[in-house]
Amino acid sequence: MKRRDAIKRTGLFMGAVVILPSFGSILQSCQSEVRADWQPLFFRDEEARLISSLVDTLLPRTDTPGALDVNADIFIDKVVYGTNTEEGQQALRAEMATFNQECVRNYGAVFADLSNGDKVQAMMREETKAPKFNSAVWGTAVGKQEPVGFYRSMKSITLWAYLTSEKIGKEVLNYDPIPGEYVGCVPLSEVGNAWSL
Amino acid sequence: MANFNIDAQKQVTYDAIVIGSGISGGWAAKELCEKGLKTLVLERGRLVEHVKDYPTMNDDPWDYEYRGALTPEQREKHYKSIRSGFIGQDTEHFYANDQENPYTEIKPFLWIRAHQMGGRSLLWGKQTYRWSEIDFEANAKDGYGVDWPIRYKDLEPWYTYVEKYAGISGEPLGLPQLPDSHFLPPMELNCVEKHVKSRLEKEFPGRHLIIGRAAHLTEPLNGRGKCQYRNRCSRGCPYGAYFSSNAVTLPAANATGNLIIRPFSIVQSIIYDDQKGKATGVRVIDAETNEAIEYKARIIFCNASTLSTTQILLNSKSDRFPNGFGNDSGELGHNLMDHTYRIGALGQVDGFEDKYYKGRRPNGIYIPRYWNISEETKSDKFLRGFGYQGGGFRAGSRVAANKPEFGPDFKDNLLKPGPWEFFITGFAECLPYHENKVSLDTENLDKWGQPTLAIDCEFKENEKALNKQIEEDAVEMLEKVGVKNVVGFNNHHEPGYGIHEMGTARMGKDPKTSILNAWNQVHAAQNVFITDGACMTSNSCVNPSLTYMAITARAANHAVEELNKLNI
Repeated sequence: MKRRDAIKRTGLFMGAVVILPSFGSILQSCQSEVRADWQPLFFRDEEARLISSLVDTLLPRTDTPGALDVNADIFIDKVVYGTNTEEGQQALRAEMATFNQECVRNYGAVFADLSNGDKVQAMMREETKAPKFNSAVWGTAVGKQEPVGFYRSMKSITLWAYLTSEKIGKEVLNYDPIPGEYVGCVPLSEVGNAWSL
Repeated sequence: MANFNIDAQKQVTYDAIVIGSGISGGWAAKELCEKGLKTLVLERGRLVEHVKDYPTMNDDPWDYEYRGALTPEQREKHYKSIRSGFIGQDTEHFYANDQENPYTEIKPFLWIRAHQMGGRSLLWGKQTYRWSEIDFEANAKDGYGVDWPIRYKDLEPWYTYVEKYAGISGEPLGLPQLPDSHFLPPMELNCVEKHVKSRLEKEFPGRHLIIGRAAHLTEPLNGRGKCQYRNRCSRGCPYGAYFSSNAVTLPAANATGNLIIRPFSIVQSIIYDDQKGKATGVRVIDAETNEAIEYKARIIFCNASTLSTTQILLNSKSDRFPNGFGNDSGELGHNLMDHTYRIGALGQVDGFEDKYYKGRRPNGIYIPRYWNISEETKSDKFLRGFGYQGGGFRAGSRVAANKPEFGPDFKDNLLKPGPWEFFITGFAECLPYHENKVSLDTENLDKWGQPTLAIDCEFKENEKALNKQIEEDAVEMLEKVGVKNVVGFNNHHEPGYGIHEMGTARMGKDPKTSILNAWNQVHAAQNVFITDGACMTSNSCVNPSLTYMAITARAANHAVEELNKLNI
C-alpha cells in the first residue's frame, strides 16, 4: 500500500515526519534585524534572525536563488507554528537558545551577528559532531534513528523548504508533472538538474 | 459515469448484499450485478466517485500549506496509522479516523483502515502476484494450520479472468513458485536495476530479479488510460490507470443498473433465521444519523476487510451461534497472519553517475522466493519463504543533509541528482497460529457504541528465523553484486505493518476446524460468503490482493449457480 509513493517522499518529507518533534553563504547582508517583509508566527526576533542567517549560510544566492529568495525561513516558521506540537515548539526554542549561547561562548556573538568566517566555523563544528540520518526505505528510516539534533534537523528542513518551493520546483529543477512514460536509462546530460517531483 | 443509486429500500429483499466496497467487495458487486442480481453494497464510509472525489490528484508540494506535513490535529486523528509513515496532507482524507474507530493492541499491531467507497483499493501498493501450488500445499505439508480446501488449479482460470479485466503489467518467467499472470507489457527496469539483475542472476543461480508485477495499465484497457508515471497513485488516479474499485469494478457494476450502493452504512451484524437455517439480512447503523436499519437479501458477501469482516461475524450472535456467526469450530477470530516487513539491505551503486531516468515509475523490482521451493532449496532453519521488493534510484536531499557541507557548491550539487542507491526489503510468510487472534472488546466502544476489536498477535520463532535470513541474504546479495556501503536492517515491526492481514475466518475442508468451505460459504449458513482476507488459510509470502479478486469472482460465480439451482 502506498509504498511506492513514499519513495519520493523519503528525502523531502524527512524533515517534517521525523524531525519536527525535536527541532533548522555567504552572508549577503548583516542580519541585524528581522526581515522587514516578515512577521513571524512562532519565532521571536532573535530566533527569526538565527533561522534567516542559518538558511542563508546553508543555501546562499548564487546564479540560482538562495534559501532566502524562496522564503525558506518564513516557511519554517509557518510549519513549526502549524504542525509542531507545543512540546516540540518549546524544545526547539531551547535548542535555538543553546545554539546561540554556544556561538556567544565560542565566537563572541549570537549566530546572526557573527562574521562569515565564524559562521562557517560554527557550522563545521556542528557538521562534525551532529549524528546523521539513517537511510530510509519507503519513507521510514531503517534501523533505530538517534536524534540528529538542532543543526542537522534544521539543515534537513531547510533543504526540504527550498526544494519544495514553487520557484525551485518549477523553474530550477526539472518540472515534469505528467511524464507520460518511464524511460529507465537516459543520459544525465539530456536532463541536467534533478527531477523536481 | 452515471451517478450511483444510493436509495436502499428496507422493504425490498435484495438478491445480494455486499458488505464493503474495497478490492474484494468491488469484485463481488461487479460479478453479482453482471449476473443479473439486484445487489446492495453497504459501505461504512462516504461515496468516493472516480476522479470527481480525488481532490489532491494534481497537487504539487507547494500547493499544500505545509508541503505535505500533517498538523497535530491530523496526527491525533490518525494516531494509529501514522506509524506506517505513509500518510501526508495529500492522502490523509483516505485514511480512517482512528479516534472514532479505536482498537486495542493486546500485543502491538498496526491496523490500517480506509473507510470510504473503494476502501484500501485507493491506497494499495498494486503489487499483484499469483499464489502457487507451493502456497496452497504448504499447510498440508508442514502441518501448520489446516489444509486449504482448494489448490492452484481451482483458482487458475479465475486468476486469468480477473487479470484480463483488472490489467496487470509484468513479465512472464515460467517459475513454479510464482506463476505468470495474463500480462500487459512490463514496466522498464532502470540502468542500475538492469546492472544488479545481470550480476545477481550470474552470482546466484536460481534467483531472479524482475520488474514488479503490478495492477498498473501499460496500455489502455476498457476505456481506462495507461499509466502516466506521475506516481501519485494514492491520491486517486485521474486516468484510472491503476486498479481500484472506484475506477474499475464499481463503475462496471453500476453500468448494469443492478447496483445500489448505500454509504455511511455500518454493518452491525448479520441476521440469522433459525427456521430457514440461513442468513436473511443485516443490521445496519447509519453512520451519520445513528438510525438502526435492517436490509434483507438472499445471499450475503462479506468483504469488509479481514478484521472488519470478522468483527461483524463475532458481533452476530444468536441462539444458533452464541460465539459468533458460523463459529461452530471456535476458529473465528483465530489464525491471524500478516507478512513481516522492512527487513533488508541497501547501499550505493557507483559507475552510473552520467545516467538518469525519466518518469516516476510507481513500481519497483521483485525477487521471487527461492527458499523451500524444492529439495535442493530446503532450509533447516525455517519453514516457508520470503520474496523481496526494492529498486534503484538517485537519492535526494536526505543524503545531502548528511554531507558535511553547505554554501554555494553544496547548493549547486543539491540541484543535481544524488548518488544511485539500491535497496531490497523482504516480505516473509507467517505461519497460522491459533493463538494469534482477535476478539470482541465490549468495554471499549466506538463512536457508535459498538464493541471494538482487541488484537492479540505476534510473530514467532519461524518468522524471526525468516527475517534473519532475509537480512543475511540481502546483505550478501548486495555485496556480491558490487553495491557499496551495504547496510542491513531490521526494523522489528510488529504485525500489521505489512497491511496484508489475513485469516480469522479461514477456509477448510472440515467444519470442525474452519469457518468456510471450498467455495467461501460459511459451513453452517451457506448463503453467506466471505471472500476478503479473512478467508485465507495460509498467507504465502506474496501480496494477497490478486488472490482476493480471483477467490471473489469464483465464489460469486458459484453463488449464482447455487441460487439458480435453489440450493441456497
